[in-house]
Amino acid sequence: MSNAEFLEIALKAAVSAGNLIEERHKDILNVSRKESLRDIVTHVDKLAENQIIDILKDYDKNIPILTEESGFVQGNLEKTYWIVDALDGTVNYVNHIPFYAVSIALFVKNKITVGVIFNPYSNELYYGADGLGVFKNQKSLKIIDKVPEECLFSMAFSGKKYEAAKRVDEFMLFGKINDSSRGCLRTGSAAMNLAYLAEGKFGGCLGKANRIWDVAAGLLLAELAGATVKFKEVDKEKYLVNYIATTPKAWNSIFSNVEGVYQV
Amino acid sequence: MKKKILIFGAGAIGRGFIPWVFPPSEFEINYVESNPQIRDLLNKQKKFLTFKTNNGKYEKLEVPIVHCYSPDGMPDEIIENMDIVITAVGPRNALSLKEFLINTNMPVICCENDSTIPESLKAATNNPNIVFGIPDVITSNTAPEELLKQDPLSIVTENGVCYIDNKVSEIGGNCHYVDTDELRKQWLAKLYIHNTPHCIAAYLGNILMVNYIHESMKNESVEKIVSEAMFETEQMLVRRYQLEEEFVKSYSQKELRRFKNTLLFDPIIRVAREPFRKLATNDRLISAAELCLASGIVPENVMMGIMAAFCYNNEQDPDFNITYLMKSLQPRDFLKIIIGLRADDALFAIMVNQWKNNLQKLGELK
Repeated sequence: MSNAEFLEIALKAAVSAGNLIEERHKDILNVSRKESLRDIVTHVDKLAENQIIDILKDYDKNIPILTEESGFVQGNLEKTYWIVDALDGTVNYVNHIPFYAVSIALFVKNKITVGVIFNPYSNELYYGADGLGVFKNQKSLKIIDKVPEECLFSMAFSGKKYEAAKRVDEFMLFGKINDSSRGCLRTGSAAMNLAYLAEGKFGGCLGKANRIWDVAAGLLLAELAGATVKFKEVDKEKYLVNYIATTPKAWNSIFSNVEGVYQV
Repeated sequence: MKKKILIFGAGAIGRGFIPWVFPPSEFEINYVESNPQIRDLLNKQKKFLTFKTNNGKYEKLEVPIVHCYSPDGMPDEIIENMDIVITAVGPRNALSLKEFLINTNMPVICCENDSTIPESLKAATNNPNIVFGIPDVITSNTAPEELLKQDPLSIVTENGVCYIDNKVSEIGGNCHYVDTDELRKQWLAKLYIHNTPHCIAAYLGNILMVNYIHESMKNESVEKIVSEAMFETEQMLVRRYQLEEEFVKSYSQKELRRFKNTLLFDPIIRVAREPFRKLATNDRLISAAELCLASGIVPENVMMGIMAAFCYNNEQDPDFNITYLMKSLQPRDFLKIIIGLRADDALFAIMVNQWKNNLQKLGELK
């Protein structure tokens, strides 16, 4: 299948799951804790994930799918596989803060080739693929290159238990970037952060030990829109990645701040 | 002494029509053009030909030019030395011209298909003499083979009129300088009796896989949809904006003749270009349908045109992503997320209801 065909499948799955997430917003039944107080899951996460899996498998049941809630759905790390976060920003969703999204990416030979992020509350649909460009709803996206002093940044922290002794360094980095720019936010959705970078709303996004399904689609969309993007897998079993994605003009300054706090 | 004129955009309107309105006998013509092929050829030849169709024949005008500049790195003094600036670069690009016009004072005529551009440019540049110009004409961006043999830059236009805000009437030329009320009337007619059916003819022609508007109009079904869409918007203009029945009728007749003009060779890909811009909720298709419904008219033929625009499939078009979205999204999601219609909107309900039926009718056009 071509990138255009994969993109069409991912669009269909993301919007379908997004509709379900909005329909069920009024009746969130169970909120379960996973690894920390802010790492939670609802039955809606699972329902949406099942819907995405059904749609993706309907097109090609042989392509493995790595998901947040179910792990690998058949198969394993192969040349081509989907990565799915049915609801990135569950804490925001549960608290009715409209900053959450469905995120779907396709990996082909260790390269992200297709990405879709859909915020069903705001109807913001970000999508793109290698060779096809990147879009929000109707419009093609291209970031405006800005220096750090003119940028708003966002940062996604690692889990509490991951390198606990070094967490203070993350907060120090957060403060440093916050004070040397138009601010640094912690929004609760790494996927939406990266989508907003692709759109030019953020000038950069940083993340340490984030799950790959939170950021895979966003990293591609930001890069296709013209951001400088670097990421590194830091824990293969837990699917954790570190990353920096910024406007080209902000890169050197942000990269030098991050060095020593985490590796990319 | 001739007045110096700088035209941003050496495309259909800029090259094909403006020299008839501001003729080289009275004006010294300069261009700014981003397409390097056109720019290099203009600078090499220092002249080009534009042909006006008149009573079934071509009338020829040779246009000498001083220079065609690139928008990148154009010296500031070029603009400062001009008496008049005209923009004809398309609504998506027009606001990017602000950097050239900041703190200038010369008259700037925006011949763009968007009436909001002059006010936006005025606010962005502090130039109080930026006005709206309405080219009431169809100009192709190319020409038939026999004319291109005479000059590769040949271009064909109709015998049209340019309505310009009378605030800048001292410029002269062969224009119709009119007051604000007349300009508004001409704009409403152009937007809904010209732009709406013109692009419908293009989108239907794309489904028929023909190349030019006049070829699309040869198809009886297309001709019927286009003329009935025109009737719907005519009635809307009479009911909602109190335009005279006689005026809208004669405007429609004129437009139908234009669309069928076999000398014009108006390319489908030019008119159908950027479907999302034309499908904006305040533009010629969705807005026309919404206004019809608000005026008690069910715009069945405009809606057929809207559906044809949704189906526009051209890999070279900047809005080619419409194809992925149409293939992957359900009608309700496409209308809500991509077009921006509200689910409680009457047009939304009718479009969803008639979706399959309209698609089937378009399929039968072939």
